[in-house]
Amino acid sequence: MTKTLISLMATATLMLSMATVAEDATLMDADAVMAEAKSVEAAESESRDEFRSLDQDVQTLKKEVLDLNRDLFLLEEELLFPANSQVAFFVSMDVGEYFELDSVNIKIDGKEVANYLYTGREADALIRGGVHRVHMANLKTGDHELVAIFTGKGPHVRDYRRGATMRFDKGIGAKYLELEITDRVKKQQPEFVIKEWE
Amino acid sequence: MPSGRSLASCLLLLLVLLAPTDSVTAADNDREPIVVQDPQYGEVLFYFYQEDYFPAIVRLLAAKEQQQLMDHVDEAELLLGGMYLSYGHHLEAATIFQQLLADNVDPDIRDRTWFFLAKIWYQRGYLDKSREALSYIAGELPKNLRREALMLEAQILIDAGEYDAAIAKLENWKGKTEWASYAKFNIGVALVRSGRVDEAAKLLEDLGNLNPFNNELMSLRDKANLALGYALLQDGQPAAAKSPLQRVRLEGPFSNKALLGVGWADAEMDNYQRALVPWMELRSRNLLDSAVQESMLAIPYAMAQLDSISQAADHYLNAIEAFYEETNRLDRAIYHIESGQMFDDFLADDPLDSTGWYWRLEELPEGPEGRYLFHLLATHEFQEGLKNYRDLNYLYRNLDDWQQNVEVYANMLETRKEAYAERLPRIEDALARADLDEMVGRKLEFDSTLNNIEEGGDWLALATKSEFEMWGEITGLESTPALAADIPEAEEVRDKIELLKGVLQWELEREFGDRLWRIRRNLRQGGEALVAAQRSRRQIAETMRTEPLYFEELTTRVYGLAPRIELMKLRVGDAMAKQRAFLQSIAVGEMQAQKQRLDVYTVQARFALAAIYDVAATVGEVSE
Repeated sequence: MTKTLISLMATATLMLSMATVAEDATLMDADAVMAEAKSVEAAESESRDEFRSLDQDVQTLKKEVLDLNRDLFLLEEELLFPANSQVAFFVSMDVGEYFELDSVNIKIDGKEVANYLYTGREADALIRGGVHRVHMANLKTGDHELVAIFTGKGPHVRDYRRGATMRFDKGIGAKYLELEITDRVKKQQPEFVIKEWE
Repeated sequence: MPSGRSLASCLLLLLVLLAPTDSVTAADNDREPIVVQDPQYGEVLFYFYQEDYFPAIVRLLAAKEQQQLMDHVDEAELLLGGMYLSYGHHLEAATIFQQLLADNVDPDIRDRTWFFLAKIWYQRGYLDKSREALSYIAGELPKNLRREALMLEAQILIDAGEYDAAIAKLENWKGKTEWASYAKFNIGVALVRSGRVDEAAKLLEDLGNLNPFNNELMSLRDKANLALGYALLQDGQPAAAKSPLQRVRLEGPFSNKALLGVGWADAEMDNYQRALVPWMELRSRNLLDSAVQESMLAIPYAMAQLDSISQAADHYLNAIEAFYEETNRLDRAIYHIESGQMFDDFLADDPLDSTGWYWRLEELPEGPEGRYLFHLLATHEFQEGLKNYRDLNYLYRNLDDWQQNVEVYANMLETRKEAYAERLPRIEDALARADLDEMVGRKLEFDSTLNNIEEGGDWLALATKSEFEMWGEITGLESTPALAADIPEAEEVRDKIELLKGVLQWELEREFGDRLWRIRRNLRQGGEALVAAQRSRRQIAETMRTEPLYFEELTTRVYGLAPRIELMKLRVGDAMAKQRAFLQSIAVGEMQAQKQRLDVYTVQARFALAAIYDVAATVGEVSE
């Protein structure tokens, strides 16, 4: 009886793993146990092969779905915002020492078109150099007015609300406008500038 | 253009993201400033920094397709490779790295990249590729990564059955770090697997006596002691086995097996009274553990040896009852998994944005099977399989969303076509009515007339209507016959007329330059308006020419993409089913093994109980 029980324990706990250091670790030297271990190894190898085959299928699918998404993304943009009338508004931050962004409100020709509230993760992505496309619009060629209101926490963690305005000419072809938040080090204040993306 | 916190190298940053431990934190600091030149590149970074790899990759691919990343060509390619890697799209990532890492990249970054790729491939079971990636590491990795890389290499060798090579890799390992202990342990593994158990025992003895300074090492020490204890038990040295087994902590993942082993060591030495002490402790522990299950048989076995037959019979009966209930629970759990409910719960709990490679499921959704499968979560295959399943589900839902959008786009396109067809005749009519060429001709005539007026100094030509009429009246009066009379009254009137004419002429000549300028300005503005009108007309003509082509092209794309989405959805759904079946087979296999063990224990308990009843019956008969 004793031997039977110990043998069961041994079989169940023979397989050792280094990387995870998570499995049981009973070492047995019996030939029978070694043979059993080999059969477990063979089963593992078979399972690994099956996993690999499935994984390769998943890899192929990922590639194809990503390519399809690219085509759909382009189609969507061309359909909803044709190049002739497209205007894209981007928000960017340079350094961000004196301003912690909460939200951006955008008005075009007096009409509110976007009011975007930033999560902590998004604000962090902006500080690290990311650029957020906050709004896309279709505008007729000609003169337009853009007003952007930035709210957040300014120096000394005080509530801060500032606006920036710009008149711009929409010609033929897509136009990119950048709402940039920079630090004015001398004044220890943030600065809000709207400019056309060069 | 943000130049903020820079990307010294996109890849270096990716490596930081790929290794959330302290292994590459140094990489986070020394970066060169970079200025985002293309807004689309900045947008990719916006998603990348949030670790939303799927939308980041899609935007990068789209921007590349439209050649919008002209100022970031190399960086973008490297970033794409890194994001593929983070997204678990490791084969595509490797293709990019193989192209880019050959040159132009800091050897340190290149080596780290290959290391992480090797690690991912190992976890996904691509042992050959993992080995190949490690072979590309040309220089010296940072110390901590170097250790991990060596361990990885040894593990690959062990997995491939090349035990001697694995031992050779690890045996020169110096130092007293935890890595050195892991190395020792792995040498032990390799030695056991190559049949050199005595040598393994020495190593395990060393490990079993080490002074651990963290939880991982404590765990490793327990593991080594347990292994050694059982090896000695198996070798018929129960007294020697007790010492390592008693070194295992009383509370820990290995304590149950150690307690069981200590009991067996005492039992082997016929000290059943002592053996009952650790086994009775086990009785109060979780029945899921095989050691606890086994103790339920060991206790009555010891009691029988101590002639407590009645108590032994009770314990066997309890064990049979407990195993029966556990088997029923296992059956329910197996049914739950086979019905697919477990995976539905898993997907319902999973936040869709967590698609990074470092995602790990820490605990299974609540369900009857959770208690049986917790240690499956520690295995690469199950974790990687779950990742694939989760990623496939993300793809499926993504395609589902697009499918709905594309339907909307198709409707939108049809509406636009109808609106265009409706407006076209009106526009054509309006265009036909507006004879721009004739207007241009008239403008040129005006120019010519004005030139003549200027050259001739024809101030009267620029008079207003009232001035012109006045001039006519005055000159009309001049020719009145009565004024020809040679009388003082006539002369006075003639003088007055002359004065009026002179004043009017003087006025007109004074205004001439100003009027000429104003008319020229109006004419110029008219000319500009005509040019704008001509341009607009050309644009309209161009639009009328291109719009049908544009509609046709978009229609082809919209209606071409819809079946692609449908087909892809089918394939993704199919892959999900296969992946689920694979995970089910692992999970159910695990539970079947547990069930079989319980079955064996139940048979043994029944057999022992029958033997006790036999003995009791025989004793009864003899006493009668």
